[in-house]
Amino acid sequence: MNAIDGTTSSFHVRSTDAPPPSLLVIVLDTNPYAWSLLADTLPLQNVVANLLVFINAHLAINHANQVAVLASHTHCVQWLYPPPPPPLPTDSTGDVLMTEPDQPDPTPHPPTDDANKYRPFRLVEQQILSNLRSLLTSSPPSSHTTALIAGALTTAMTYISKATLLASPVAAPTHTHTTSSVLPTADAINAPADASTAHDPLSSRILIVSVSGDLAAQYIPVMNTIFAAQRNRVPIDVLKLAGDTVFLQQASDATGGVYIAPGLEVGAGKKEGEDAAVVRAQGILQYLMMGFLPDAAARKWLVLPGAEEVDFRAACFCHRKVVDIGWVCSVCLSIFCEPLPDATCLTCGTYLALPANHNVAPAVVPRKKKKKKRLPDGGTPRPGGSTPAGSTPGGGTPMR
Amino acid sequence: MRSYDSKAHRHTRLRQDTQPFQRGIIRHVVLILDLSAAMAEKDMRPTRYLVTLKHATTYVREFFEQNPISQLAVMVMHDGLCHLISDLSGNPTHHITAIQSLRNPVNPRESPREPKGNPSLQNALEMARAQLYHTPSHGTREVIIILGALLSLDPGDIHKTIAACARDRLRVSIIGMSGRLKICQEICERTNSGSDASYNVALDEPHLRDLLMSTTTPPAIRSGATEGTAEDGAAGPVGASLLCMGFPSRTITDAPSLCACHGTLSRGGYTCSRCKAKLCSLPATCPACGLTLILSTHLARSYHHLFPLRNWIAVTWKRAREKGTVQCAGCLIKFPTIPMGAGVDDVGGSRRDKGKGREDEVMENGGESQEERERDQLSKELGASESSRYECEACEGHFCIDCDIFSHEQMHNCPGCLSKPAFSTVMEEDGNELANGTANGMNGLNGAS
Repeated sequence: MNAIDGTTSSFHVRSTDAPPPSLLVIVLDTNPYAWSLLADTLPLQNVVANLLVFINAHLAINHANQVAVLASHTHCVQWLYPPPPPPLPTDSTGDVLMTEPDQPDPTPHPPTDDANKYRPFRLVEQQILSNLRSLLTSSPPSSHTTALIAGALTTAMTYISKATLLASPVAAPTHTHTTSSVLPTADAINAPADASTAHDPLSSRILIVSVSGDLAAQYIPVMNTIFAAQRNRVPIDVLKLAGDTVFLQQASDATGGVYIAPGLEVGAGKKEGEDAAVVRAQGILQYLMMGFLPDAAARKWLVLPGAEEVDFRAACFCHRKVVDIGWVCSVCLSIFCEPLPDATCLTCGTYLALPANHNVAPAVVPRKKKKKKRLPDGGTPRPGGSTPAGSTPGGGTPMR
Repeated sequence: MRSYDSKAHRHTRLRQDTQPFQRGIIRHVVLILDLSAAMAEKDMRPTRYLVTLKHATTYVREFFEQNPISQLAVMVMHDGLCHLISDLSGNPTHHITAIQSLRNPVNPRESPREPKGNPSLQNALEMARAQLYHTPSHGTREVIIILGALLSLDPGDIHKTIAACARDRLRVSIIGMSGRLKICQEICERTNSGSDASYNVALDEPHLRDLLMSTTTPPAIRSGATEGTAEDGAAGPVGASLLCMGFPSRTITDAPSLCACHGTLSRGGYTCSRCKAKLCSLPATCPACGLTLILSTHLARSYHHLFPLRNWIAVTWKRAREKGTVQCAGCLIKFPTIPMGAGVDDVGGSRRDKGKGREDEVMENGGESQEERERDQLSKELGASESSRYECEACEGHFCIDCDIFSHEQMHNCPGCLSKPAFSTVMEEDGNELANGTANGMNGLNGAS
């Protein structure tokens, strides 16, 4: 009995002392337009090669670490790893759920040999490369020039939430993924809210490798995902290689992630700055390894890189101008850059009263008029006026 | 909001979110805690008082999480009187310290406040009314009372107070801890245009927590005369107005400087967009020029109340086979295999009437009344799925129950809709959020017009 007790307790101790496994979801912006602009200095294949090294490093740090890679393309969001669902519903396996809590990547491929240490590396690389290749070759020429970052982030968050659910000890014995696994969700959600994350077994984070700018159209969905990430304590790291989006910076700031924009740092002169930016962007592997490899547990002890100044200005809904003082509809919270001409909200059509003093020019204290001498005769034209005629002197026209 | 009682929970959530209401996003709330002798009862462990304090603390956090541009004040009913313990403000830490200092006073000479005496609802309401009197008309005025006692010891006629509260557009919600009281019901009815839905009695601690947390959702705006001064009959809440707000950026200076709000030295901070005064935290009102300063993220946090995500419907086996989905579109988990051939009838036989494809259903329902169709839709939304799949009707993606709950409760995005370019072009063209499977948010906002 004692021996059994000893083993179980030591097992428990070891399992709690070990660094918690972490799940890294990489959102790779594969916007072909943006990458073609970068083709001379930083081609996609270089970045992908560096990313693979980074992924291997992540997997090597902890045996239980997991990785997932999403491509945020212009016309779709595609899983690169774990592989996307097969196109045909040729699912003949009777096994409903083959994911074990220890191996939550639901790959439909033959189970891997855990004994062979390098097999996971090879598998991940193979999958990512082949899926990326098929995505790029199969993508039709489309008119959309912005990457679907919001969709990719949303998908990443659902994946993370499910992975957290599967990894939590309560959920481990459940082998049906229907309603019976709802209760553990509650624990996973409530845990960060009131208690602590002490028993949170899986720390997740998202890394966005972004090259395209202009997310204005996806503002609200992106914001929604940011808040979901914030609630679930999922830091969003951003590696900004080109382009400029305010929202991703806000995302990393709000969720406590790392924001590095190697290509966009302020150079001394324009030309010099460009060259330096190119050089800096080519050291992408170093940025990845130094800035993004530490997981949430390690980051507590590190001084993180990041932009200290964050642009929090908002874009107005009427002209898409970036404003720092705006007018906000109290019903739908739309932001406008100037008071509306007909006092009707453009978004919700509500009649909006302006504050009474909004366009009243500040009054200037009038100069004290000199009291004119009262005329000796014909002073008061108004009959019966009891007031003295001091205010309306002379010809009866009030002087203003 | 927070009860995750599997299917029942899905039901309540669906009922809540189906209609996009126009909501009062800018709220002014007075939270009134009972500190009468009844709170020393031990039916909630350790005592009602401590349980209430604990939940009030989490409530404040959650409230400002959900309503970042709203304001809160906290009062206690203690020994016949009502005391203001924290002023109307938008600073959560301020309220939390105030609530915690009830038990652990900041000033060591003060003794901790223990439950004593009787509560007075009249005093509390009068005090809340005074506190909310000057608040602008575009915001809501709400009072949330946690009442442990079974009586109210009032100095005067409480009915006059209730009438005055109703006149001043106060909306009172009461969470009881012992039993239902007629006077509480009357207060809630009179101040909520006849609906006593805001009066609830907590059965146990989790229920108390759920009731309390459900008030963090902004209340729906009622159109109607009871709201007060809407003479022109215009859509929207009474006195909707355009507010001038500043969106300051965070700056870091080399030399530390004093902030205008607390007078502490700091290097970082936000500078007021109008007068360049430095503040250390947002949202706040600029102490120098009085401009409301917020982060645009604070506004964005409320958008999901305005554009709720459309409900997903349960998928029948037939529909599942049509689409041939094997994995959840969100988390890639595998669905149960679709039974082939005869198995379909065995499994789905009892639900044949519901198990028709969408096209059939549309055809069939063509002649039916709107009401029946709605009921049918509702049953589709409420039912648990036989195939463990839930479908977003906008993008026709299939999701598992966990992703359904996560997407609706926390994310308010549909992973499928946002992964298709068609939706984002709609958004780009229209400039509003018709995409993302939102249940016609704009129409809902216009609903009253």
